[in-house]
Amino acid sequence: MQQESIYVLLADDDEDDRLFFKEAFDSIKIKTIVKTVNDGVELMDYLTQSKNKLPHILFLDLNMPRKSGMECLLDIKHLEYLNDVAIAIYSTSASEQDIEDAFVKGANVYIKKPNDIEKLKNLLEEVITMNWHYQTSGLNRDGFLLSL
Amino acid sequence: MGKYSLFLHSSFLKTIFTISFFLLLFISSISYNHTKSLKILTELLVHSYKIQIQLEQLLSYVKDAETGQRGYIITNDSTFLDPYIRGREKVNKSFIVLKELIKNQPKQQANLQELRHLIDARFIRLANSLASISAYGTTQLLGENMVKGKEIMDSIRSLINQMIDLEISYFNSHQAKYNREISFTPFITLLLLLFSLLIIILSFLKINQDLNNLKDSNEKLLITTESIKHAEIIGEFCTSIWDMKANKLIYSDNLYRLLGCEPQSFEPTIDNYLEFIHPDDKSIISRGARDILFNHDTYPHFYRVIRKDDKQRYFQSMGKFIGNSTHISVIKDVTEAHLSSLVLEERNRELEQSNKELAYFNQIASHDLQEPLRKIQTFISLLTTKESSALSEVGKDYFSRIQTSANRMRKLIDDLLLFSRTNKIDKSFEETDLNLILKNVLLELSTSIEEKRADIKSDLLPVLKVIPFQIYQLFQNLISNSLKYSKPDVLPFINFNCEKITAKSYPILKTSSNNVYYKISVKDNGLGFEQQYAEKIFTIFKRLHTSAEYPGTGMGLSICKKIVENHSGFIFAEGWPGIGSVFTIFLPAE
Repeated sequence: MQQESIYVLLADDDEDDRLFFKEAFDSIKIKTIVKTVNDGVELMDYLTQSKNKLPHILFLDLNMPRKSGMECLLDIKHLEYLNDVAIAIYSTSASEQDIEDAFVKGANVYIKKPNDIEKLKNLLEEVITMNWHYQTSGLNRDGFLLSL
Repeated sequence: MGKYSLFLHSSFLKTIFTISFFLLLFISSISYNHTKSLKILTELLVHSYKIQIQLEQLLSYVKDAETGQRGYIITNDSTFLDPYIRGREKVNKSFIVLKELIKNQPKQQANLQELRHLIDARFIRLANSLASISAYGTTQLLGENMVKGKEIMDSIRSLINQMIDLEISYFNSHQAKYNREISFTPFITLLLLLFSLLIIILSFLKINQDLNNLKDSNEKLLITTESIKHAEIIGEFCTSIWDMKANKLIYSDNLYRLLGCEPQSFEPTIDNYLEFIHPDDKSIISRGARDILFNHDTYPHFYRVIRKDDKQRYFQSMGKFIGNSTHISVIKDVTEAHLSSLVLEERNRELEQSNKELAYFNQIASHDLQEPLRKIQTFISLLTTKESSALSEVGKDYFSRIQTSANRMRKLIDDLLLFSRTNKIDKSFEETDLNLILKNVLLELSTSIEEKRADIKSDLLPVLKVIPFQIYQLFQNLISNSLKYSKPDVLPFINFNCEKITAKSYPILKTSSNNVYYKISVKDNGLGFEQQYAEKIFTIFKRLHTSAEYPGTGMGLSICKKIVENHSGFIFAEGWPGIGSVFTIFLPAE
């Protein structure tokens, strides 16, 4: 029986980062479907249209024009039907303040964008194979920031 | 109240003077009584003598009459009868005098009455004798008469003597009575006089002492006043004393000077003072004065004055009530302090601005600069993994060099950020076991320690109030440093040595000598360095080796220095080329 593909959605305004993201997933052995949106507003539009399939994992950049990742995170946590979507923060910044904020607002994992395609690949692999039941309990602060 | 007890209390003085007054009054009355008694006694004596003399005279008149008659009888010369004739007259006069003298003595009156009868009887006998002579010559009858006369005369004499004795006894009894009264007087008077004298002398001594104390106090007061005047000039302040009951103000000399005037050159009134106040601040003074006068409320004021020379100054005043109706203001010229605080505020604003800019720069460095760099690195990694087959060997070499440069740039940015974030602000100090921190650092560095087969030992480190992650950074930097500059052919050895010391045994510490520190020395057997570089190595970006020999940004030790300074500590380095180096950290024990 063929395993269901993992549906991954990335919200990032940076074209290069979207490219790296796709490149990394292309070379991962696990079957994934990757979709990208260009900013927070576009993301919320996508998530609120019922015809769209909800992702398993949402990768959320923090620093985006129009609507920031943090704002999106707040909105998503207010929408009950999105409760099952795992949220991974995917940001250049790894400041204590941002990590703390994201954790408090209910993100599941925090990834600092690496500067190497191999590292990125490994990180993404780890995220999609993660035991989300454990990770979504929202109590595990120690493993929140994912690094290799 | 201690100050006032130096002087005789006015109530004490009053008591002493009241006692003295009554004593003197008492003495006067005693003296008066004494004198009065003496006078009475004298009068009594005179009176008594007068009676005695009068009685003696009476007797002598009777005798004269008798003698005269006897002479007449013998000689029959009628001139001898003169005393007899005048004697009767004199006797009568004498009786009147005596009657007057003894009018208050009933017993003597009775005696006098009897005497009168006897004398009358004697004169009758005399008259009878004379009659019988003129009728019959010397006869038996005359002789009989004379015998009888002699008997009467004896009775008279005896009665007079009796009366004189009585008078003397009268006088004696009076004298005894008064003597009793006045015998103690001189003694009591003397005693009281001496006592009064003593009190007066004591009072005098005390008053004299008080006067001396007063003189001393006056001198001290004078000195205090002078020193206050001097202090006012040096300290640029002045005082205003307001007697609200009398509505009278006293301005100290320096108040006039601070206003640019000659001392006491205008009448001290609020209106005159207001003349010097900046027009916008006049209301502060008038409102303050109203509150003092009507609400008994005083508070500090800050206002501008325009001096006589038109220069603007800033004054600050503080008030205080003394009793209910006196108010003292101390006014200080705070122009210098005020202006410098303005400058300081401006500096602070500038500093805040530059801090903000620095924070903004940090933001740029951390995000905006890292973003393109990260992309360059990622693209390089993409190229080397996916497209390396399309590159020549030279191209690959170039790419490797680009990668090295990009990595170095990343390290520089990271260290720069770490350095700028190493601030005390907002960082909390916690009781931390430094042994635990060291253990974690060794765990973190375990790969390179094992790689270099380094031996790291440590004394027991203290538990101190520190910023934990900064101390972590400090230990990490120091150990990494020692590992990096270890000798290639010798196994690295790093030793943490710790002892508690007081600053006075280490003159190199520029701090109060009683401060207690933990001295932690990190000693290695690495390459060491020339002692002349001991201070330079802590300077930012200062390196003793090229990047090619030993990669690094030149910030590790600068960060160490900043961390130690954040903890109010000191760090020093000592180096011996080819032997090793010692980094010594002093962290305050408290």
